[in-house]
Amino acid sequence: MKQQIGIVLIAIAIVVIVGGAWILITTQGKERLIVSTTTSLYETGLLDVLDAQFEAKHPTINVSFISQGTGLAIQTAMRGDADMILVHDVAREKAFLNGGYGVNRKIVAYNYFVIVGPDDDPASVEGLDPVNALLAIKAAGESGEALWVSRGDDSGTHAKEKRLWIMGGENTSLLRETSWYLEAGTGMTTTLNLADEKRAYTLCDLGSYLNNYVLGNIDLEIVVEAGRDTLNVYGVIACDPRNEGLSHVKFDSAMKFIEFLVSDDVQEIFAEFGISAFGQPLFNPAVEVLETDVNPTTASWIREQAFIEGSECPLEKRYEAGDLTFLNITFIFQSIWRESRS
Amino acid sequence: MTNIILDGIVKAFQLLLSLDPTLYSIVLRSLYVSGLATAMATLWSLPIAAILGLKNFPGKRFIRASFNAFLGVPTVVLGLILFLLLSRSGPLGMFGLLFTPLAISIGQAILITPIIVSFITSAIEAIDVELRDLARTLGSTEIQSSIAILREAFGGVTLALIAAFNRAFAELGVAMMLGGNIHGLTRLLTTAIALETARGEIAFSIALGVILVIIVYTFSIILNYLRRN
Amino acid sequence: MSALLEVRNIAKSYGAIQALQDVNLKILRGKITVLLGPSGSGKTTLLRILAGLEKPSHGSILCDGEDIAEDSDLLRQKATMVFQKSVFFNAAVYKNVAYGLKVKGYSNSQIKDSVRKALQTVRLEGFENRRTRNLSGGEQQRVSIARALILERELLLLDEPTVNIDPRNVSIIEATILRVNRNQKMTIVLATHNMFQAEALSERVAILLEGTVRQVGTNQQIFGTSNKHLASVTRLDNVFSGVSRINKTGTSVIKVSENLRIEASFRKSGEATIYIKPEDIIVSAHPFTSSARNVFQGSIIEVSDLGSVMKLRVNAEKKFLVQITKRSFTEMGLNVGSTVFLTFKASSVQHV
Repeated sequence: MKQQIGIVLIAIAIVVIVGGAWILITTQGKERLIVSTTTSLYETGLLDVLDAQFEAKHPTINVSFISQGTGLAIQTAMRGDADMILVHDVAREKAFLNGGYGVNRKIVAYNYFVIVGPDDDPASVEGLDPVNALLAIKAAGESGEALWVSRGDDSGTHAKEKRLWIMGGENTSLLRETSWYLEAGTGMTTTLNLADEKRAYTLCDLGSYLNNYVLGNIDLEIVVEAGRDTLNVYGVIACDPRNEGLSHVKFDSAMKFIEFLVSDDVQEIFAEFGISAFGQPLFNPAVEVLETDVNPTTASWIREQAFIEGSECPLEKRYEAGDLTFLNITFIFQSIWRESRS
Repeated sequence: MTNIILDGIVKAFQLLLSLDPTLYSIVLRSLYVSGLATAMATLWSLPIAAILGLKNFPGKRFIRASFNAFLGVPTVVLGLILFLLLSRSGPLGMFGLLFTPLAISIGQAILITPIIVSFITSAIEAIDVELRDLARTLGSTEIQSSIAILREAFGGVTLALIAAFNRAFAELGVAMMLGGNIHGLTRLLTTAIALETARGEIAFSIALGVILVIIVYTFSIILNYLRRN
Repeated sequence: MSALLEVRNIAKSYGAIQALQDVNLKILRGKITVLLGPSGSGKTTLLRILAGLEKPSHGSILCDGEDIAEDSDLLRQKATMVFQKSVFFNAAVYKNVAYGLKVKGYSNSQIKDSVRKALQTVRLEGFENRRTRNLSGGEQQRVSIARALILERELLLLDEPTVNIDPRNVSIIEATILRVNRNQKMTIVLATHNMFQAEALSERVAILLEGTVRQVGTNQQIFGTSNKHLASVTRLDNVFSGVSRINKTGTSVIKVSENLRIEASFRKSGEATIYIKPEDIIVSAHPFTSSARNVFQGSIIEVSDLGSVMKLRVNAEKKFLVQITKRSFTEMGLNVGSTVFLTFKASSVQHV
């Protein structure tokens, strides 16, 4: 009997040794690049495609994605546990740069948030702009006819939602006290499921919505389409190796990954990812839009909303960027931009 | 809803039979990480349990009670504490362990230490106290007689190790917080389930869950069977 | 005859409890020394100290003029002990018996040979692969003895080796003890509360009472003459205390326990201690009509084979020591656990 148990223990030991050896072999001699990113981006599966492409191009680098809400993702990088961030919250990206944590910001892609809700649209928001739609949902909510679900997890989506409420003159810390405003405190899919169960409205990135809709997890419909106010811009920032707490970061690999993201090939992947599954792309490449005038309206929205101090990356936050170029608002655009700010 | 569950179960067996390399790498990695955790935890828990079970000293009851109290420590709490310790800005940051398989193993090892210590200590205490005297009067050294008692407690020791391995294998909090669920590096069965659920791939999650349960169940059954014989 | 060990002024206390005090004893080489005393008299403690399993609180153990009381390792090299309760490893007989040689690093072939011989000595030939747990109590105790003998230590310590064991196994064990002593000149110390066993096996006897050695002598010196210390050991058998009341017929009834009332022919009221000689108690399988006033039902808890006579310990509310011929014992088909009736006259009850 003891011999048999011995055999089982030996079998376990073999699994441990083989498994360990296999992990060693597959990661041997590779530099590990940790990208702190957001759940909404990661959960689409796009990053796994990019991972494989990048590692094929740079076999000595092993890319590791850590996906968290944007707030947490940025904190992880600030603590020194990641080499770069790939997120979608301009205000916090700016704080990250200005705090001395990051350099060489590039805008890589964009898509739109949509407001989704039950198909009978109890708050009659169809056709309204996002801010007015929210106000209509609030009014319906107060009369007990509609519900709103907020991510409530400090993610980029949550930040966008708060900004929309503020644009409508609302105070989100007061809203959370009401009975029609629910906080999910969790990721996008779970939030969508919650909204679906409750027949509530919620703000969602298009990718997550399409993914869950096509999979049949939810019956919610898009009630407010993409527009200027629901623009969602993804930016990438390398951690600054000059920062004392970040001196160990793999800056060179991070820069390679940024160059990779803005390369034509990868921009093409952004443009195509999701078409086969959803009939439309989940993301739009940003580089061409900003560099040429193929889509001036969108470009102006991106400049307006996602540029920091008139640039993709402020001058003093550029560091050993190599061939990478950063776009600035030209003088004329800058004056327009200042005007719109004041 | 029932359709999704059935789909998941069907998918589980399809996956198992498809020899999908990604799936098998996740399963193998999970076994490796939790196996290493169990091995590490045994390394320090066995002597602790032996001392607690065999020796009498002041404070022993308190130590035993402490280990018992930590049996139910929430994995996320442990994960959070270790996360802060292993983070680059934490006291153990210089080792760069965060988001590696080893970090998960260490976390799981700490998680299951109270299980191993408590179970083995109880098993040793259930052994006749006179057995030690017997071993000694038959010429054993102190260490040899301790080994004799541990051998008598063999059934309890295997049970402790199975329970510990299963706990490590099936936990999520530590693996998620310390491993980061990195594709091809720290993605385990449990974190993959969490991710697939978050991605809305419910059927796939259920499939992975079925595989997880099958493995845990098979382990317990085989070893229980051997122990009884 | 030289002393293998000499115990001098040994004392042992556990907290406030004084288990042994001022014990002096020479253990002579090649002899069987019996420690005779009632339970709680310190026999086991003394054996454990000799075995090196416990250190005395005070006193010395001399070996070739050197005090080795503190050197438990050396004591364990010299002596090995068989416990009253049979303790064994949860394994086959072979592994149990082989254990002592295994830890010493003997080769498998040496061990195999020695185990076979040791099992032969206790008449358990061919028991190697039996599971120890499945053996009877007596067989387990014989395994314990084989396990001790295989070590070939100079001194064998046996703590009540025949308590709660059926008579067949008792006689095998007793025969083994005598044979080992005679053939291998092994020095043996045997602790027992059974006077008859002490008489049958001992060359030297030490009477142990309340943690002290009251008397040491040869078998002849102790058992040959009437002896007040021996009486005090014996008297613990069949000695009962209770409140005595004189009844109408002029006899006394002593209430020994709630359900045990013994009638005596003497007249005494108040506290009384009484004694009944084992020989005066009749043992029967069924109650029978007689003039005897005292009839009690009980069950046999211990049997000692003394050749033609068997000594039985019977639990009948209180523990009685009785004696019966071997022939009757066999004819009545008695054994440990059998129900018997004890009958004795009121006039057999002595006031102490």
